[in-house]
Amino acid sequence: MTPAPRPDEPSETEPPDVPGFRTWRGIYLFVFGWFVLVVILLAVFTGIFA
Amino acid sequence: MNVADWVVLLGTIVGIAAYGAWRTRHVRSLNTYLRGNASTGWGTIGLSVMATQASAITFLSLPGQGFESGIGFVQNYFGLPLALIVVCAVFLPMYRRLNVYTAYEFLGQRFDEKTRLLAAGVTIYAPAIIISTVLGWPLNLVIVFTGLLVIVYTVTGGSEAVALTHKWQMAVISAGMVTAMVVLLLRLPDGLGFSGAAHVAGALGKLQAVDFSLDPSRRYTVWTGVFGGLFLSLSYFGTDQSQVQRYIGGASLREGRLGLMFNAVLKIPMQFVILLLGALLFVFYQFAPHPVFFNQAEWRRHAHDSRFRAIEAQHATAVAQSQSAIRAWLQARAADDPGREASARTTMIAAGDRTREIRAEAKAALAAADPRAKTQDSDYVFITFILTQLPHGAVGLLVAVMFASALSSKASELAALGTTTTIDFWRHFRPLAAGDEARNVRVARRFTALWGVLAVAFALFAGFAENLIEAINILGSIFYGVLLGLFVVAFFFRRVGGPAVCLAAVIAQALVIVMYFTLNIGYLWYNLIGCAACIAFSLVLQALLPPRARAAEGRAG
Repeated sequence: MTPAPRPDEPSETEPPDVPGFRTWRGIYLFVFGWFVLVVILLAVFTGIFA
Repeated sequence: MNVADWVVLLGTIVGIAAYGAWRTRHVRSLNTYLRGNASTGWGTIGLSVMATQASAITFLSLPGQGFESGIGFVQNYFGLPLALIVVCAVFLPMYRRLNVYTAYEFLGQRFDEKTRLLAAGVTIYAPAIIISTVLGWPLNLVIVFTGLLVIVYTVTGGSEAVALTHKWQMAVISAGMVTAMVVLLLRLPDGLGFSGAAHVAGALGKLQAVDFSLDPSRRYTVWTGVFGGLFLSLSYFGTDQSQVQRYIGGASLREGRLGLMFNAVLKIPMQFVILLLGALLFVFYQFAPHPVFFNQAEWRRHAHDSRFRAIEAQHATAVAQSQSAIRAWLQARAADDPGREASARTTMIAAGDRTREIRAEAKAALAAADPRAKTQDSDYVFITFILTQLPHGAVGLLVAVMFASALSSKASELAALGTTTTIDFWRHFRPLAAGDEARNVRVARRFTALWGVLAVAFALFAGFAENLIEAINILGSIFYGVLLGLFVVAFFFRRVGGPAVCLAAVIAQALVIVMYFTLNIGYLWYNLIGCAACIAFSLVLQALLPPRARAAEGRAG
């Protein structure tokens, strides 16, 4: 049968254990910021070459 | 291909498959077989997620897309990082807390095996037809060889073998693509370099990476990418078992999350580089001899009369003129003479248009000679470059890239099919056998093998459209939105019962199909429309259903 649910799974508040980040929200913000930066760089690339 | 190529090809592909099967031959635990090794780290999960999405179609079709239409397709992936953040924050913790084996187990509904069989067949068939055409190998032999190889290690080690082999397959893929890019840059004409080639590609309309247009009929814009792509990626990564199985296991929630974030950071740059490779191939072929139609096997099959010879001659002349025009424009740019540069640019664009017109004429001539002729050749551009321009050894490596990516996506599909059939189907009818772990593993192995054989048979007898990367995204966009809607209702609208959401899904799907055939809007929007329609209809139907039925639904749910 399917194993029982895991009530003790680390929650949102558990630190991600990544240098420079104390919360998962920080990592999500970093990834979102990276995405915005990539779009800006692609727009600049388009402006230079297209 | 010579001996060195064969050694590299067979050494990498068979070696990785054998390694995966050997390392996981003792897997006896159902949990390990279906969800992978419990100690799997984020790096392996991240590469496995990446390898699952990166089928051979990606590496054959994407450079062709860049060659033919430019790099605007990269916008298709703009919703992906945002979707992965949502999957990390909502879907993954939910799946892990409930400790399910499949996404559909959570949904409480059985899986549509026919759709998955189609997808599994496509992932074998698509690269097989291109590789066999270009290399002159028998198509059925390629399909059977690829299929058997993946069946052996997937059946042996299940999800653990899939994750283990994905790591090495991604290493081969990365090495191969870097090699191709380096060789391409080295083969550009003297003095042109990356910057010059990029300026030529840009002037010829191949480097418009972003388009902020609000015109809904445009296929790829920032907005279709962010909104439509968000829902497409959310459906794919959040609800498609081939992906869910990659990150649902692992040592902890942290490993799964970091594996997904790894993809969120790398995916757009990776797709950009592959598309850029295609755009630079376009520039390379402005200076190098190339056929008017890249699928030469198809061309030779039909191009017998003088009309085809005339097209070939016109194409050679047009390419020579285009080359002269490009050189004149480069000289004008170097001389920093804006007037001369503008005039040379106009001439260069006109020469490029003329070459494109002749290629269109060639395709029309093929269609006129045989209406069943395959008239799309963009998927053949990259592999033509590989076979004609790369040194021996590197050719074997690049063909290995195609096989590695075919195997990696195929293995995930088979593991997902075996898992869902065992958990969502077989155990549903054999609840008493659920506690017998050894029997469950045996059954999962048999189902995985059965699906592998069915996928190979399907690939042998089915026919698919060409230019597949776009076709697959269109198909996904039509069906994934409603599937995502089902999950969103299941996650967030707990009062909605099964019959209401099922009926809503059917109506929403019909609506999306009707809209697809009657409206002219970018296909990525259908992901958003399908999801929103499914949620809205679910809420309305739940409110309209008679109270007794609602109560019955509540108990059933």
